[in-house]
Amino acid sequence: MDHFDTDILILGAGGAGLRAAIAAAEAAPDQRVALVSKVYPMRSHTVAAEGGSAGVVQAHDTLDDHFNDTVSGGDWLCEQDVVEYFVSHCTREMIQLEHWGCPWSRKPDGHVNVRAFGGMKIERTWFAADRSGFHILHTLFQTSTKYKSIERFDEYFCVDLLVENGRAQGAVLLCLATGEFCAITARAVVLATGGAGRVFRQNTNGGIVTGDGMALAFRHGVPLRDMEFVQYHPTCMPGSGVLFTEGCRGEGAFLLNKDGYRYLQDYGLGPAEPQPRNKYMELGPRDRLSQAFWQEERKGRTVTTPQGEAAVLLDLRHLGRKRIEERLPLICELARHFMGIDPVDTPIPVRPAVHYTMGGILVGIDTASPLPGLYAAGECSSIGIHGANRLGSNSLAELSVFGRVAGEQAAAFAKGAAAAEIPALLDRARAAEARALGLLNGKGGGERHSVLRKEMADSLEKGCGIYRLGDEMQQACDRLADLRHRYDGITIDDKSRAWNTDWISALELGYQLDVAQAMAHSAIARKESRGAHQRLDGYTQRDDANYLRHSLAHYRKGASPEISYSPVTITRSPPGQRAYGALGEQLEHARKEATHG
Amino acid sequence: MSERRPYVRRQSRLWWASRTYRGYTLRELSGVGVAVYGAVLLAGLDSVRRGPDAYAAFVGWLSTPVAIVLHLVLLAAMLLHGLTWFQTLPKTMPRLIVGGQAVPQKTITNAAIGLAMLCSLALVIGALS
Amino acid sequence: MADRDRLTIELWILRYRPAQDEEPHFVSYTVTYTEEMSVLEALQSIKDEQDGSLSFRWSCRMAICGSCGMMIDGTPKLACSTFLRDLAPGPVKIAPLENFPIERDLVVTVADFVKKIESIYPFIMPKETKPVEAGEYLQTPAQMAAYEPFSDCINCMLCYAACPQFGANPDFIGPGAMALLQRYNGDSRDAGSRERLDLIHGEDGVWSCTAVGLCSEACPKLVDPANAVNQNKTNSAFDFFLRGLRKENHS
Repeated sequence: MDHFDTDILILGAGGAGLRAAIAAAEAAPDQRVALVSKVYPMRSHTVAAEGGSAGVVQAHDTLDDHFNDTVSGGDWLCEQDVVEYFVSHCTREMIQLEHWGCPWSRKPDGHVNVRAFGGMKIERTWFAADRSGFHILHTLFQTSTKYKSIERFDEYFCVDLLVENGRAQGAVLLCLATGEFCAITARAVVLATGGAGRVFRQNTNGGIVTGDGMALAFRHGVPLRDMEFVQYHPTCMPGSGVLFTEGCRGEGAFLLNKDGYRYLQDYGLGPAEPQPRNKYMELGPRDRLSQAFWQEERKGRTVTTPQGEAAVLLDLRHLGRKRIEERLPLICELARHFMGIDPVDTPIPVRPAVHYTMGGILVGIDTASPLPGLYAAGECSSIGIHGANRLGSNSLAELSVFGRVAGEQAAAFAKGAAAAEIPALLDRARAAEARALGLLNGKGGGERHSVLRKEMADSLEKGCGIYRLGDEMQQACDRLADLRHRYDGITIDDKSRAWNTDWISALELGYQLDVAQAMAHSAIARKESRGAHQRLDGYTQRDDANYLRHSLAHYRKGASPEISYSPVTITRSPPGQRAYGALGEQLEHARKEATHG
Repeated sequence: MSERRPYVRRQSRLWWASRTYRGYTLRELSGVGVAVYGAVLLAGLDSVRRGPDAYAAFVGWLSTPVAIVLHLVLLAAMLLHGLTWFQTLPKTMPRLIVGGQAVPQKTITNAAIGLAMLCSLALVIGALS
Repeated sequence: MADRDRLTIELWILRYRPAQDEEPHFVSYTVTYTEEMSVLEALQSIKDEQDGSLSFRWSCRMAICGSCGMMIDGTPKLACSTFLRDLAPGPVKIAPLENFPIERDLVVTVADFVKKIESIYPFIMPKETKPVEAGEYLQTPAQMAAYEPFSDCINCMLCYAACPQFGANPDFIGPGAMALLQRYNGDSRDAGSRERLDLIHGEDGVWSCTAVGLCSEACPKLVDPANAVNQNKTNSAFDFFLRGLRKENHS
């Protein structure tokens, strides 16, 4: 097996991984950085983010407002000290991206422009048309090529972390092109592998979003936190789940039911005004909007698409051709090309689809996980800023702010750390290689991994959807345990080594099943409704007395995960009633009076 | 030794004859037409230098059926060449920004064609008067 | 919907497995398809249900990650945004991107292209350095319009597959990398044009280009790489003559 020694190993080269690599290279130019990705960096799923990235920039906006929006948006399950750090570093990171060339959309005077976003009181979403993630990713990738200390391993798939003496010290990689293995030993390891939305059926995620890093850390004893909180994005393409950005609504789009009625006013988000105010109606948070869709579908007030999916209508027509084409070119392309609909004169049928995993690898404010030497940033991590529901445009900001922290912290750790214990690590690497080859060459019972994947996605969608029921969640848990068992007996058609995507998909499915179990078991254990976790079986209210706590899923080999809880850090925003629309404004007034009076 | 063995496909020597590149190949061939017409003009000039008899012979040749067919072919080639030349023009220049917006390439092409037609017209009118 | 017509279509897919094949050959698959089904979804259904050994790259499904470029009926296309309804009744010929070595099946070698991208200094070399604390550089919408379309390149390499000159000379820097170069050269914040100019002289620079122009037609994002290449031919030519003049001045 090939062996490569480095100082800082970064797994994942999307927004967070690239930002971490650049930060490490700038903080410690004498250290070597190995940047690993299972795809070429510019294919990473950051590329698909559309709407934009948060950062307080307007004179009438404040860090406090961004803090409050984020904490109440997360239904008070946020780590408030982390949110405080986060909001105070977003703008700096957005400017840094600008200095590196990110083509943020501008105002006529040349300053960066911002748009409104769901759940945000003031416009603070920096955007590059509706290709914000694409531009951030390409800017970071291209900028990263400047740093000589970064060595990339493109199209290398990670099959295991190397842990020795209670410290993360590297990883075992499978080179896609050759099918051969290589071990990278390192003094510090950063996970930046993204989310896990592909465990669900209808989702906005790319095929690569399979929770690899979450499962890797999980298997090595790092808890996954708050995994029951899975975000449904309210406006996606029926069938494929492809995303129509919240930026559409930020620009002023309406959501209509089959009668052309702006139904959100029936769900505590009104009043309906021609120009939706921030935090009202279409500019409400994603969990509430997805839940409203579910209710409308129940009431039979949705349309049915040719694919047989229920949908509501995203209406952009009143914005006019010029604004639509200038601000939302990708949306035009997707609607026209994929659906044969011109949003200039026809509303787009949309429905919710799984978009984001709020939970992830447990890390502290310094991005360090409980496993020494292991750091995590971006969607794979749970640093605590999203709580029970993420606000749109906080995740691109997160990967910049905490990608940087992870890079710097890992560099500092690597500097002080002892050298990797290479002989012992290589033994572990060979064992990991043998396991992966065992999966490839195993005779199995003839069942294909694609069959298992479909069953997994169906059971999660049924059990852990927008609204949840105890017995349905239990069915999902049982089904996943059965799938876990059947996974050991799958057969891979393709026994060759070079570019064997059959094998890679099977390895990914193993990761997905672990993550899915963490989700389902965390969900059934949380007997309340909060943010994106809404139950209909008697636990319909938030229960701060018992569940103002983070859930932690712990891996148990050959068994279902064990769930425990940890406290939430509250610094200055005591849990209050979470409301939007007119009621939300009233409550906010009352809170302000109380603090000033 | 890994299994990896990238397979390199050889480009066909006749790639330019394929359907995909037909437009390009015709455009390049029309350049030959331009050159031939240049040679015809030069021959005419040379006949002037050689005296009235040579010039008369040249003019006489121009009215033969062969010369007329040749000129029709050359005219077609010239038109094609001119058109494609103006279509290529906006590709060779920096993006033209007017009032904060890029001028569409089609507009540049059409403007250039218009200008060329005006010049040609002026020449024809000048020659006739 | 149950009552919708279930149609079938035949796909001829060029397959090459280095462990067992001396050279690529077409294999026929038949898939059931619906009106909204993309070529990518057809390939996925083949992989999931008929033959797990078929390899191809894909990820985003929405024409932004640039992974799934391939030749579809002889034209370079993104499989995710090409629909079977437009190719019916078939058979449809699917092959790996032209002009690139085949790693396996529909997977081509990308590394050389990425090296080209890395070679052209694809980052801002600031005109004036300023700390992040001093805020953003100003850039008017007009200044953005000068380079923004070139920044929309998704690195899908369709333009390379459309370019016969890249087919003839694999070292030709090619349309995609030139679009990126022009993206930075055209940026009002950047001062690196001079350094980048030195990279584009000669046959492996812009001068392999004969303005075929199909790169721009193949581009799924309207980046117009042909414009980037040909602008830089002008720049390269000017530079050549100006250098001559400068030399004379020195002597």
